[in-house]
Amino acid sequence: MENILLTTEEAFRTVSSGRKTVTLLDNINLTVKEGEFISLMGPSGSGKSTLLNCIGMLDDFTKGSYTFLDEPVHSLKERNRSKLYKEYIGFVFQAYHLIDELTVYENIETPLLYKSVKSSQRKAMVADILDRFNIVGKKDLFPSQLSGGQQQLVGIARALIGEPKLILADEPTGNLNSKQSEEIMKLFSELNREGVTIIQATHSESNAAYGSRIINLLDGKIVS
Amino acid sequence: MILNYIKIAFRTLLKNKGYSFLNIFGLAIGMTCASFIFLWVEDEVSFNSDFAKQDQVYYVPTHQEYDGEWRTFNSTPGPLAEAMKTEIPGVIRAARTKHRDFLFAVDDNAINSSGRYVDEDFINIFSLSFIEGNAKTAFKSPEAIVITKETAEQLFGKNVKALGKVIKVNNTDNYLITGIIENLPKNVTFPFNWIAPFQRYSNGHDWMTEYGSFFADTFLELSPEADFAAVDAQVRNLIEKKTDDSNSKAFLHSIKDWHLRDNFENGKQVDGRITYVLLFSFIALIILLIACINFMNLSTARSEKRANEVGVRKAMGSGRSRLIIQFISEALVLAFIATLVSILVLFVLLPQFNLLVEKNLLLGLAKPSHIIFLLSVTLFCGIFAGLYPAFYLSAFKPVEVLKGLKATHGSATFIRKGLVVGQFTISIVFIICTILVYQQIQHVKNRDLGFDKDQLISLKVNGTMIEKFSVIKQDLISTGAVTSIGLNNSGVLDGGNNGSGLEWMGGTNTEDVLISFRYISSDFLETAGIELAEGHGFSENRAKDSTSVLITESFAKLMGEGSAIGKKVIRWEDTYTVIGVVKDYLYEDMYGQSDPVLFFNYHGEASFMYLKTNPEITTNALLSKVEAVLKKHNPAYPFEYTFVDDTFNAKFKSEQLIGELSQLFALLAILISCLGLFGLAAYTAEQRSKEIGIRKVLGASVSGLVKLLSKDFLRLVGISILIAIPVAWYGMDNWLQDYAYRIEIDWWIFVVAGVVAILIALLTVSFQAIKAALANPVDSLKTE
Repeated sequence: MENILLTTEEAFRTVSSGRKTVTLLDNINLTVKEGEFISLMGPSGSGKSTLLNCIGMLDDFTKGSYTFLDEPVHSLKERNRSKLYKEYIGFVFQAYHLIDELTVYENIETPLLYKSVKSSQRKAMVADILDRFNIVGKKDLFPSQLSGGQQQLVGIARALIGEPKLILADEPTGNLNSKQSEEIMKLFSELNREGVTIIQATHSESNAAYGSRIINLLDGKIVS
Repeated sequence: MILNYIKIAFRTLLKNKGYSFLNIFGLAIGMTCASFIFLWVEDEVSFNSDFAKQDQVYYVPTHQEYDGEWRTFNSTPGPLAEAMKTEIPGVIRAARTKHRDFLFAVDDNAINSSGRYVDEDFINIFSLSFIEGNAKTAFKSPEAIVITKETAEQLFGKNVKALGKVIKVNNTDNYLITGIIENLPKNVTFPFNWIAPFQRYSNGHDWMTEYGSFFADTFLELSPEADFAAVDAQVRNLIEKKTDDSNSKAFLHSIKDWHLRDNFENGKQVDGRITYVLLFSFIALIILLIACINFMNLSTARSEKRANEVGVRKAMGSGRSRLIIQFISEALVLAFIATLVSILVLFVLLPQFNLLVEKNLLLGLAKPSHIIFLLSVTLFCGIFAGLYPAFYLSAFKPVEVLKGLKATHGSATFIRKGLVVGQFTISIVFIICTILVYQQIQHVKNRDLGFDKDQLISLKVNGTMIEKFSVIKQDLISTGAVTSIGLNNSGVLDGGNNGSGLEWMGGTNTEDVLISFRYISSDFLETAGIELAEGHGFSENRAKDSTSVLITESFAKLMGEGSAIGKKVIRWEDTYTVIGVVKDYLYEDMYGQSDPVLFFNYHGEASFMYLKTNPEITTNALLSKVEAVLKKHNPAYPFEYTFVDDTFNAKFKSEQLIGELSQLFALLAILISCLGLFGLAAYTAEQRSKEIGIRKVLGASVSGLVKLLSKDFLRLVGISILIAIPVAWYGMDNWLQDYAYRIEIDWWIFVVAGVVAILIALLTVSFQAIKAALANPVDSLKTE
């Protein structure tokens, strides 16, 4: 498990607000190996989410290079980039971001639709994951009928359904109580043991402790 | 995937019931309106299109020059048809025709029936199909008559063989039925219930063989290979070639153009009903657009609700095109539901619409053209309305929207405002048009006609009405229901008999002036309420007045300075003396100036009997008294009458229709626009609920808040008014130019339209604004 999943070299992310240029990420040099469980820590505004978004290719570094599975992301076209993250990356959000109009089953199924997976195969995959997360009984409910913990569980199931190599989780337990948090973090550890690389942004020391490595950010710089 | 989209679309619709209702309702109204217009237009363009040889058949009107101006008439000289057929290559058939109203009698059964005397070619030109008898032999007998199936059934009843039977026409002549033809198709500009050989009409009338007498309606058929332009050029020269008269030119007019393009100005085809067909089609499109604008507006206004979904879907790996397809599918689902609603509404309202346009339109949902229309409208609305929101929404960046940033795109707000302005501009233009059309109609209706159309009944002269005129007159007066009775050879509102080539004292180039001739009984002027300006009217003793004439004031003016009394008018070598001048009165074109009129004291060939009735007697009593007298003296004919003011009102049919439809469109446009505004106001209020809460906590009053929320919308309506006024002014000024007698456009109309628009908008918006302003700030603030 020594394969390198991604590296960033001298990566910057700046935005111009008015006349000023604000540096959100400042000279990020990071190497992530497959199978790691990394926790990004730091105060609000230190750049955790921005870094996750840039790694997840929802956002772009404005300078520097970013290589993901030997592909130079910084020079890829939008189409190829979206193919790359569709294939290898799953997202988990603090606010779950389930689609309100879809049932649990359909929410989980959505990424497969975008990957054009065949119907019969889709059914099998969704059934598998529902079973594994013990939410078969909830598959026809809508997000609003679930508790926060259950919604996040669905969120993680949805992130996992595409069998990604990397899961990016931005404050995954931020909206949950401590008991629910613990369950989610245990789930992450389990997934990590099965070989999924995880990068989470978190405020909580106890959550960070589940990880194999902690990266501290301050004002857009990696401080340790 | 598509199924997935549709599923989501339905769930979104159900979840936002109010929003879906506004959208579907608005679209359905637009579609219903467009469908009605489609049905109307389809009917209008279908005239004469059911004849097999519609592309080869032409009608032959004539341009005639009077006083330097070319005027267009339907009538042609009798010999023209034969001459065209024999002398002009390419003309394979030609037929003279003459329209006539008959009274058919079979035993006790009598019906009025209009039809035509025609040359035999007519049967072939219009491919009339014989149910009984046959086309080749039908006109062999000089006493022949061919009637439609419907007429046969009216006369003889269903399933009775009518062929070979004899019918009595106008109580005097016998006609032998030699053929029964299929009923005519629905939309024919020259409908007829019977045809009979033209010779029977022209026999013994030598003038009908002269090129100088314009009286027949002529039809001709070209061979399929004929060059229209070449034939037309030869037809135009034919009358001059025969008579050296360069002031009359016959020409070809396609029967397909007859209904829609029959307006000629100075010898040039200008327009006709086609203007209205195009105008209404355009309006249908505009109303659909307004409805689509609602959809766009509401979709982008509530984009924040969808933004999150867009972000998530993109993070899940959706490309932009898939999102665009998704949003357009949603719009299509909505449009489809709207179509279903619209079909239901069409079904319910079609009878009303038929009453309004005086047609018998059918929904015809099985007709391919109708299905294609509905599908196209659905697709158009779905795609057109869905396109902008789809592109707008799918452009959201996941990072931005997932972070919970407000998606306030300046461009969307701007476009949204522009769309509202567009909608209201259209609505205001419709309001202004409605007022002006109504004003113009009223203006003309209230015009001084120069005669009194009220309490005036018109009867068609038939049977023994002229012979027994004095007794009928006596008996009618003695009933007390009628105060005065007069005869005229033409309808008082009709164009009637006219001609030129007269000479009179005091005028120059008098031969060129077109004069209308009226042959009246002495009491006619009094009956119709036409006033004498000078001199005196005719005496009852015709012999005394056989060389006397009356003229109208416009005629008197042509006679130059001084009184016209005593001046001479020469017509066809007879000299007449003017004994009286009457005030000008209006006939034929209610919007223009009527030609000068020359009255003769002769009622031997009168076509109409006019009765001035006693206003104190109820209509029912009056009619039964008149009927009794006529039944007594003219028993063979059924009693039929018209009120002249009804005939007068019928002259405004197309204007009235424009007025009523314009009113309807204005209402619908406003309704749809208000639905949109209502939705927008609701979302604005929701969006600003926090701001309103804070302002309220800080001490803002309810009225202040309502003002704050309504102000933006009112400004948009204000801009719409500024755009609508010049547009409406330009359009309506153009429309009014078609009428010689017309209103001036008053400025206050624009003020009224503007105020109405503002009031309606205020009413729509303030409901939401007041609701928002009255809300408890605690509720709106605690959610954060």
